[in-house]
Amino acid sequence: MTEQSLSLLQHWLKTVVTERGGLDEKLRAAARAHGLSAEDVVAERRGLSARERLGVYTGGYVLRLLECMRADFPALRGFVGDPVFDAFAKAYVITRPPGSPSLYELGAGFPRFLEETKPDGGRFDAATSLLLDLPPELARVERARAEVMRARGTEDDPPPAEPLSTFAVFGENLTLEATPCLRLLELKFPLVDFLKSSDRGEHPAPPAPRAAFVAAGRSNYRVHVEEVTPWQFAFLKACERPAPLYTAVLAAAHEAGKETAQVLAEAAVWLPVAFSLGFLRRVA
Amino acid sequence: MQHRPRAAQAGRPPRRGLPNLGLGVGLRNQHFNYLMSHDPEVEWFEIISENFIDNYGYARRVLERVASLRPVVMHGVSLSIGSTDPLDWRYLKDLKALADFVRPAWVSDHLCWTGVAGVNTHDLLPMPLNEESLRHVAARVRQVQEFLERPLVLENPSSYLEFKDSTVAEWDFLSELVRETGCGLLLDVNNVYVSGYNHGFDPVHYIRSLPHEAVVQIHLAGPTDCGRYLVDTHDRPVPAPVWELYRLAQELTGGVSTLLEWDANIPDFPELVAELRKAEPALRGENPGSPVQPSRAAAAAVSNPVGFQLAPGDD
Repeated sequence: MTEQSLSLLQHWLKTVVTERGGLDEKLRAAARAHGLSAEDVVAERRGLSARERLGVYTGGYVLRLLECMRADFPALRGFVGDPVFDAFAKAYVITRPPGSPSLYELGAGFPRFLEETKPDGGRFDAATSLLLDLPPELARVERARAEVMRARGTEDDPPPAEPLSTFAVFGENLTLEATPCLRLLELKFPLVDFLKSSDRGEHPAPPAPRAAFVAAGRSNYRVHVEEVTPWQFAFLKACERPAPLYTAVLAAAHEAGKETAQVLAEAAVWLPVAFSLGFLRRVA
Repeated sequence: MQHRPRAAQAGRPPRRGLPNLGLGVGLRNQHFNYLMSHDPEVEWFEIISENFIDNYGYARRVLERVASLRPVVMHGVSLSIGSTDPLDWRYLKDLKALADFVRPAWVSDHLCWTGVAGVNTHDLLPMPLNEESLRHVAARVRQVQEFLERPLVLENPSSYLEFKDSTVAEWDFLSELVRETGCGLLLDVNNVYVSGYNHGFDPVHYIRSLPHEAVVQIHLAGPTDCGRYLVDTHDRPVPAPVWELYRLAQELTGGVSTLLEWDANIPDFPELVAELRKAEPALRGENPGSPVQPSRAAAAAVSNPVGFQLAPGDD
């Protein structure tokens, strides 16, 4: 039997808990890596075997993390159903075991994992192939929403001396910036209504694919996920660093292929909305 | 049966000089809306530190309100004080920043390790208990206490396996750790009961053997009977044997802060408070509990449940 230092025992048990497969496979992997068997390491008392005792930890590990994934991606879970969701979520936590002290970080890599493990679209007809794009896109929206919930917002900002009026853009020398909680997404599907329907406990049909621009922000602790137009998306992008109003308007017009005057006129109406949804704030 | 507190016997300040806050519960997101519009009805709250680190959403607003009304204690699950990985200084800095915001009555975590080689299993894994691990944990406790500028309070975890390499009992390990580092103890009487059942030791002997003057807080919870072993599920009322141990612990310590943990199938706040208030008849010797309840599905019983995690859509 190998000498059992604290480090060796911890690496052995970590392997047993996090390795893929059933307990037999886990124990074989741990034996190969660290030269120890369950019986070498675990005391057997009260008629409970080493394997039964280890099973409490190995079973709990996956179930605990799966519970978190289910909580973080409710719409995706509802769309693909429990068996499919659980299979992908388990594969994710086994393939990419968590490293952060916060469970909040657990789902951060899930959208990319779904994208990378997506079945090859070439094997399916066009409609099915497009549908395979939806789960990673939905996961991106749900992850963004979770980030918006926790990020710094505008709730502690001092209230403005005067609320932004509809025509402020014409009279004020405004400098704007995106709020710290703003998240911007370019999606292959229009998922905002799908998400809202899912939140109501409905089972919406998947939308037909089309490019969609989405902004997610928070005001007064309420999270807002809204589809925005291409120029609004470009405007918000331009404000990721503090930007004078006119600079952002020029950037938005250029990106969206619109007339500057047209964007300015539309911004006059839209900016108060963007403020109220927690997408933008004024720089003092 | 009356027990003279060891703290008094030794002439040392009980609870490491920290206050007896009375009866408290964990702050859970399921109760946020209730707590924003009602008096808290309990004497203090415990938060899971990791839920509020780097969280500037509604949860922090609720915490701000609760902390303005009642004392708050920070209870962590990711310090991993026993791991052979280096201490996570970024985590510790975040923990300290949260403590600066919350101004907690104390900061606690567990005698355990949560991972190694950069992995965090989010489970409270058991320690081999021997001279090597004692030296290792004691050195890290001293580092953490120096950094946080306050005593660390460590909880006895529930466990489902013991290492053949262990040479000392958990109560002796904790006693020596207290002696060497001056840390405090969070005595989870449910964990003592669960581990005692699973490993065949006497929970009364465990509790009697601790340095009672170092016990700062007690945890109560309900475990699940999975047939051949108990699991610390935090999802049901406190059973009669755990109330017995609670009464004993309170007698031996002279009275310390009590916290009811409930982390899965979380009841409405008034029901939670009603369960907590059973501590009062329990201390009078009127045991309010039932036998340990069996699991409906043993395979699904998960220790250290994560129902406290803040789920999207709850704000």
